[in-house]
Amino acid sequence: MAVFVLALAVLTLLPRSVGAADGGTGPSRSIASGSTLHGAFVQERRLQGFKAPLISEGRFTLAPGQGLVWRSEKPFAVTTVITAAGLVQEVDGTETVRMPAARLPFLAKLYDMLGGALAGDWSALDKEFTVVRQGNDRAWRVELRPRVAADPVSMPITTIRLTGGLFVDQVEIVREGGDSDVLHFADQTLSQAPPSPEETRLLVGVGR
Amino acid sequence: MRRLGAALFLMLVVLAALYLGLRTSHGLNFQTDLLALLPGEHDDPGLRQTNDLVNRGLGRRIVILVGHADREHARNAAAQLTARLQESGALGDLETVTGGDRMRRIGTLYFPFRGGLLSDADRRMLQDGHGTALAARALSQVFGFVGMADARLLHADPFLLMPAFFSALAVPSSRLAPDEGMLTVRGEGMTWVFISASLKGEPFELDVQKRVIGGFDHAVADLGSDVTVLRLGAVFFAHAGARQAMDETSRLGAVSTLGSVLLVLLVFRRLGPLWQSLMSIAVGMLCGLSFSLWWFGELHVISLLFGMSLIGIAVDYSLYYFTDRFVCDGAPPSARLRRVMPGLGLGVLTTLVGYGALLLAPLPGLHQIAVFSAVGLSAAFASVALWVPLLDRGRDLPHGAPLVTAAAALWRFWERPDLRRLRLALGLLLLGAGVVGALRLHADDDVRRLQSPDAGLLAQQHRIEALTGMGWSGQFFLVNAPDDETALGIEEALADRLAGAIKSGTLVGFQSPAAFVPSAARQEENRRLIRDGLETPLLAAHVAHLGLAEPPEAAAAGDGAPILTLAAALKDGSLPFLADLVPLRDNGGVHHVVKLDGVRNSTAVRALGDGLDGVRYVDPPSDYSRLFGAYRDRAVILLAVSAALMVPLLALRYRWRGALAVMAPPVAAMILTPALMALVGEPFTFFAAMALVLVLSIGVDYAIFCAEAWGARKSVTLLAVCLASTTTLLSFGLLAFSGVFAVHTFGLTMLVGISLSVLLSPLGGLACRRP
Repeated sequence: MAVFVLALAVLTLLPRSVGAADGGTGPSRSIASGSTLHGAFVQERRLQGFKAPLISEGRFTLAPGQGLVWRSEKPFAVTTVITAAGLVQEVDGTETVRMPAARLPFLAKLYDMLGGALAGDWSALDKEFTVVRQGNDRAWRVELRPRVAADPVSMPITTIRLTGGLFVDQVEIVREGGDSDVLHFADQTLSQAPPSPEETRLLVGVGR
Repeated sequence: MRRLGAALFLMLVVLAALYLGLRTSHGLNFQTDLLALLPGEHDDPGLRQTNDLVNRGLGRRIVILVGHADREHARNAAAQLTARLQESGALGDLETVTGGDRMRRIGTLYFPFRGGLLSDADRRMLQDGHGTALAARALSQVFGFVGMADARLLHADPFLLMPAFFSALAVPSSRLAPDEGMLTVRGEGMTWVFISASLKGEPFELDVQKRVIGGFDHAVADLGSDVTVLRLGAVFFAHAGARQAMDETSRLGAVSTLGSVLLVLLVFRRLGPLWQSLMSIAVGMLCGLSFSLWWFGELHVISLLFGMSLIGIAVDYSLYYFTDRFVCDGAPPSARLRRVMPGLGLGVLTTLVGYGALLLAPLPGLHQIAVFSAVGLSAAFASVALWVPLLDRGRDLPHGAPLVTAAAALWRFWERPDLRRLRLALGLLLLGAGVVGALRLHADDDVRRLQSPDAGLLAQQHRIEALTGMGWSGQFFLVNAPDDETALGIEEALADRLAGAIKSGTLVGFQSPAAFVPSAARQEENRRLIRDGLETPLLAAHVAHLGLAEPPEAAAAGDGAPILTLAAALKDGSLPFLADLVPLRDNGGVHHVVKLDGVRNSTAVRALGDGLDGVRYVDPPSDYSRLFGAYRDRAVILLAVSAALMVPLLALRYRWRGALAVMAPPVAAMILTPALMALVGEPFTFFAAMALVLVLSIGVDYAIFCAEAWGARKSVTLLAVCLASTTTLLSFGLLAFSGVFAVHTFGLTMLVGISLSVLLSPLGGLACRRP
């Protein structure tokens, strides 16, 4: 499930040209391969049965072709690293979760979808979701709904809403049963520098 | 008198034909399981029974991977294939949709007992006092990017120990993961969907094979060529093996028959010897097959293969009789029969002694071959002795002179004084080659190699093993205990040792009943660990961190909490692989199986069971290989015994010295053959040893024929020996080209042994003073 969230996060950072080619709307800035996107996030998880939303915040680094490093800093430090090889989670430098890609076929499906989208082919995504786009380059809104009924095991999602301008500003994921995640992005910058040595170590470590 | 004997024998043959007709009218089935040729005895009947149960369970299991670069395509193909296989009705408990529903059922089974269940890793963490790390992991899963938890789950399992337990469960393998209801793995750039099924019926039954493979091949063909389907299961190997044996029987049999027919026609230039020889072969085959079917009830396909090759020997007797026409002294058939009768009779007797030795080996397949051959040869001999002189209207054959002269060359080689040096050189050459070869001689009893499983299927097996991480090497530990609880406790002790072996790389993985259902003692211990390591010190702070609206239920609380039992888990049925691991539970005790994956070092893994009561390492391939080795040794002794038994028989006619002289060439051939084969790197196998029994019998025949030869009959006798050996090589020697390694080594031994026997046979005649 969470992988799905990741995939969407990556998806929202798609090159502008893709959206343009499709005549639709989407993020205005594209990330070329070799460049890196940094930013801050606030994740607001609203779960039923909890007194208050679970809020975490931190920073992320997305390096196309290499993967994503997602560091929560508050309320405590958790680092999640996702690459084509799978997913690894660390707390205080100690690995707590490791899922190789071979055990995440759904991840592969998303990579296929994203790969297609990056190459200008939205059909794979369209097959899974109804996509509704509104607004213009400066302020746009995309809503995705799965075409098949939500499946509690692999895709317990009913709606995904993305809003943004130059970059993606906010992602809202509504799950079956009413739980939802809202991701707010801020302070996003594109740099031509590769990920830091520490980030590279994390990215490479997933395939170990 | 002679006519009465002929008539009586005719009645016997007609009876045999009628019985065979009766049996064939019901459709004739042959066994195809190569292991069925192995002895029914074993040192431990209880072990054998369990072994059979385990092997039957594993033997019936079929594993299929359906792969395609496109995930949807792979899934659709898998669904289509499953539906088609379901329709065929030949397969039971077919499973593609293992994911969603299966996982839910497994969850329902375990959830009430969660307080006593811990993954091995979590257990170690708690034992080492790292409870805080487990709490941090739970928080990271709630707050972090991987938000798999919801309030309901956290309420029941605040430290998220159950997801960890589930992902550590090998159901059926840790690399397979449920993906929208289908067990799936990614690999080789493709998505593979896992299908498992079990056979209704035994994999070695030919009609089961036909139904399953026929339906399967059709269904796979309809999926289109871009879908890759990998298959694994005993039924596929058995089918390929049976097909290969049948193909070889008909192909080699055809070449052998055609070659022998042409040879006889070319040499005699008459139809008489041909059809009368064929008649004696047919009578031999008919009687041999009919009698063995009656005696054994069912024949093995390998026995049939060797039985077909009988042609080569049965024809020896009629050829020996017919070549006497080349003597050209105008003798009538009855006089010619009288002349060859001593050699013929002695030849048959010594051969029967040789086959009799096969009966001493406690191997059912060899009994079949021995009885088939002994009865067939006796019948062929009777037809030559009783019928052929009555049917034979033939005269002398003067055209044979050049052939006879050519055959006599071998005599000259051994007799002429001026060739002494050449003979010495040959002797030294053979001796030298023999010594060098003997030094290089090595035995090979590996049953996997002897069986020569289909290369294509083997490659598919390796791919499936690489993709799924499951291994089908067949080794397992058998745990025998008075009750489940004791057995589970033993398995937990064993598991600790196996975990060490996995770390050191001697083993890839294992599946044991205790991994699915911990012993009651272990569940209590886990409960204590959770209570003392997590709930008591950390729960309050943890709940505060999470901000749960209501306090969670303490899973581990209470000493009277329910314990999951193996019986309950088996009855529930949601763990399909568990039943395979518990083959036998009755009043006398329980047998559990700890299945091993990827055993890299059998000796090291075997030693891990040492000192654990009721634990026994079972390695079917190497156990069978060891048996083959033991019986190879036995066969060598049988050879010596049968050679020794022949001597007094021969001494009746040739005196002791003469008997030893007649025995010398075949015994020399018998000793030299494995050594010469070793020169080209061929190992000595059980099947080679059995071929040597035949080399001995046939070689003795040739030496007897030569010992019986004098004057003009000397050259004619050698012609008969050359003809006979050529037909033998055409049938048995051709087996050297078999794709089945066991049959190949048998054939090659015959090829070398018979050639040596022919070369050396005149020596017996020279050294032996005729009575």
